[in-house]
Amino acid sequence: MLNVSHLTKKYHRFVANQNLSFIVNDGETAVLAGPNGAGKSTAIKCIAGLLRFEGEIEICGYNNKSIEAKKILGYVPEIPAPFELLTVWEHMEFIARAYGLEDWEDKAKELMRRLELTDKKDKLGKELSKGMQQKISICCALLIQPRLVLFDEPLVGLDPHAIKELKAMLGELKAGGTTIIISTHMLESVEDIWDKVFIMMNGKIEAERTRKFVEESGENLEELFFNITEKKQTGADNT
Amino acid sequence: MNAIAYLLRKTVKNEILDTLRHPLKFLLYAFVAVSMLYGAIRGYTAGDELGNSEIFSDPRLLSGAYMAVLFFISIPIMLKGLSSGTSFFSLSDVNNMFVAPVSPKRVLIYGIGRQLASMLVLVVTFAAYGGMIIRMFDVSVSQATILIVGIALMLVMVQLITLMIFCLASMHPVRARVMKYGIYAMAFFALGTVIVYSFATGISVEHIFTAISLPMLEYIPFVGWMHGLVFGMMEGDTVRMLVFGILTMITAGGSLLTLKLTKLDFYEDVLSQAESYQEFREAVREGKFSDKVMMGNKQIKLRKTGIRKGKGGAAIFYKHLLEGSRRSRFLFFNINTFVLLFVAFVIGFGIKQAKPDIEPTIIYLAAMVILAYVQFFFSASGDWVKELTKPYIYLIPDGAVKKLVMAAATGIIKPFTDGAITFAALFVLVGGHPIDAIVAALTYGSFGTMYIAANILAQRLVGIDSTGGIFITFYMSMIVLTLLPGVVIGLVVLSSFAGSFGYIAATLLGAPLMIWNMIVSAGIFIACRNLLNNTE
Repeated sequence: MLNVSHLTKKYHRFVANQNLSFIVNDGETAVLAGPNGAGKSTAIKCIAGLLRFEGEIEICGYNNKSIEAKKILGYVPEIPAPFELLTVWEHMEFIARAYGLEDWEDKAKELMRRLELTDKKDKLGKELSKGMQQKISICCALLIQPRLVLFDEPLVGLDPHAIKELKAMLGELKAGGTTIIISTHMLESVEDIWDKVFIMMNGKIEAERTRKFVEESGENLEELFFNITEKKQTGADNT
Repeated sequence: MNAIAYLLRKTVKNEILDTLRHPLKFLLYAFVAVSMLYGAIRGYTAGDELGNSEIFSDPRLLSGAYMAVLFFISIPIMLKGLSSGTSFFSLSDVNNMFVAPVSPKRVLIYGIGRQLASMLVLVVTFAAYGGMIIRMFDVSVSQATILIVGIALMLVMVQLITLMIFCLASMHPVRARVMKYGIYAMAFFALGTVIVYSFATGISVEHIFTAISLPMLEYIPFVGWMHGLVFGMMEGDTVRMLVFGILTMITAGGSLLTLKLTKLDFYEDVLSQAESYQEFREAVREGKFSDKVMMGNKQIKLRKTGIRKGKGGAAIFYKHLLEGSRRSRFLFFNINTFVLLFVAFVIGFGIKQAKPDIEPTIIYLAAMVILAYVQFFFSASGDWVKELTKPYIYLIPDGAVKKLVMAAATGIIKPFTDGAITFAALFVLVGGHPIDAIVAALTYGSFGTMYIAANILAQRLVGIDSTGGIFITFYMSMIVLTLLPGVVIGLVVLSSFAGSFGYIAATLLGAPLMIWNMIVSAGIFIACRNLLNNTE
């Protein structure tokens, strides 16, 4: 479970996230949606413990910067950053060692097989394309079998097979009770998997919807998204 | 409007405006400019107050050093011309100008011209050294001016030569290979001549000075010709000036003619190089050094695979060992070690030759100080700096101090191994007290730990995300602040005991400094453990 309470992130005078509060339960998939510069990636990085912030963030009851929280957190950054001089397989080994994982090899092989990295296992990080690097990031994040996993624009740069496989993986994680947070500005890419959506604009959550609510009310999510984001961009009032 | 002229005009204008809008940047530029101007004026106007030693005022040293400078600025640029004009173009040039309806030749001239403009900074830097040249070598202001103009001219020439090389080698791998060997041959011929002559006549300062100023070196194409032209002018040797001047002019004319006659299609060659150069520029600008940008497209042969050891934060250390073994087969023994050995050899040999009866401890002292300074430049791209650019170190569930120490461990060990190798070699060369050599090696090693600690402190104070210029300023300030008390303590100990133990002066200064460095570094590591709490 993820509990974000009054999260505010400022860069000097610029407020990137303003008083964000939300809860995502076990087995739920939440989407942080919004245009470029809405503050999605900043929020994700705050949750991952990479940025300083005001407010509280708890992962399964632990402070997000505690070692206990780090043990159960997986993070897939927007820009993949593999180690240039480590092979694909060594990335798996490094994560396993750093997180103190036992009997991880089969899981690593399975992840690599599903994301078509098996034949690249002896390739160095610097020899891989952006898409391949993104696949390594996903494997590293999922190898630890996280209770919370953060995806920052996960589908950008992936090939169709990997997108299909990642969506299947997300389904399995969800079924296993993992909390999933996905940041994206492409709503259609996550339409099959979301349970909650937070539409962000100018660092704030402007609207929050559950799948149940949208299905019962017949509200068009895409329309809501554009209503909020386009009105704000043109300076019109939004409530 | 001519697109290239427009682009140049706007680039220059916006660069100036950007500098004015950033007061810190402006002040930094102004400070550097004023310091250089002051240095130059003082040098040109001051008398002989700093004193000349016989060795340094030898005109043969000036001749050899000038030749070395000409090689230093020419060979790398010419080799770059062969590898498809890497630094001529930025990625924005490729994306915008290459697809525009502009003649490739004009685009190439633009790229080279821009490169030339950036090289002018180098000329200004050399101009600042004009004063020093006047003082050291007893040359007149007009002779010093000729030397500096010669460097400027060499920069123009090397661009023209590069243009010719590029025109001839582009899309012709065999020609490119032949030219590459030709350029290497020039450098090896010069180096070989100096080494062979020095050994053949018996190594001494006198013979080395004769070797580096041998007239035959002036027959080396381009570089030697420019040397001949400049020194011909300086010494009023009309024939030498005319011969080498004509050769230089023929080279310039030939380059321009080649450009006119060649059908250029170099965009494909430039594309991938521009991409990696862009990454390199960005990394340097941000002070972030990754293996990809530092090693380029160098092929790595996988021998041993697997990290094999380490748990939690310790996995970072073993990962660094594995990465290190891929950068250099001998792990801690790499090109930096060779550089240090070379510098130590020059110091040891140079001082011994100049003052044969000098106490070896003075050589250890000099080597300790100079090598510690050289080490500063090596420490900028250490493993731990690279580690901070990836998210994993922040995410690993382990103690902050352990992660910090493990990430810095290879950077701490390397200077100690370098110190052991270098000072052992120096001990063989100059002799002296073994304690002195050991303490000098350990002190040198402790500088590595201190540089990392100062870097950590600077990161803690200004933030990991801070821009290069601000960070470097803070980093250097932290080095001075943290080292200074140790140096003062060392000097106090040295002056107190020099009477009885003067033969181990390096130990007297080094031991307290080393202890200080290690204690303060440990304190900084513990105090700054929260550095890994976030990436900011």
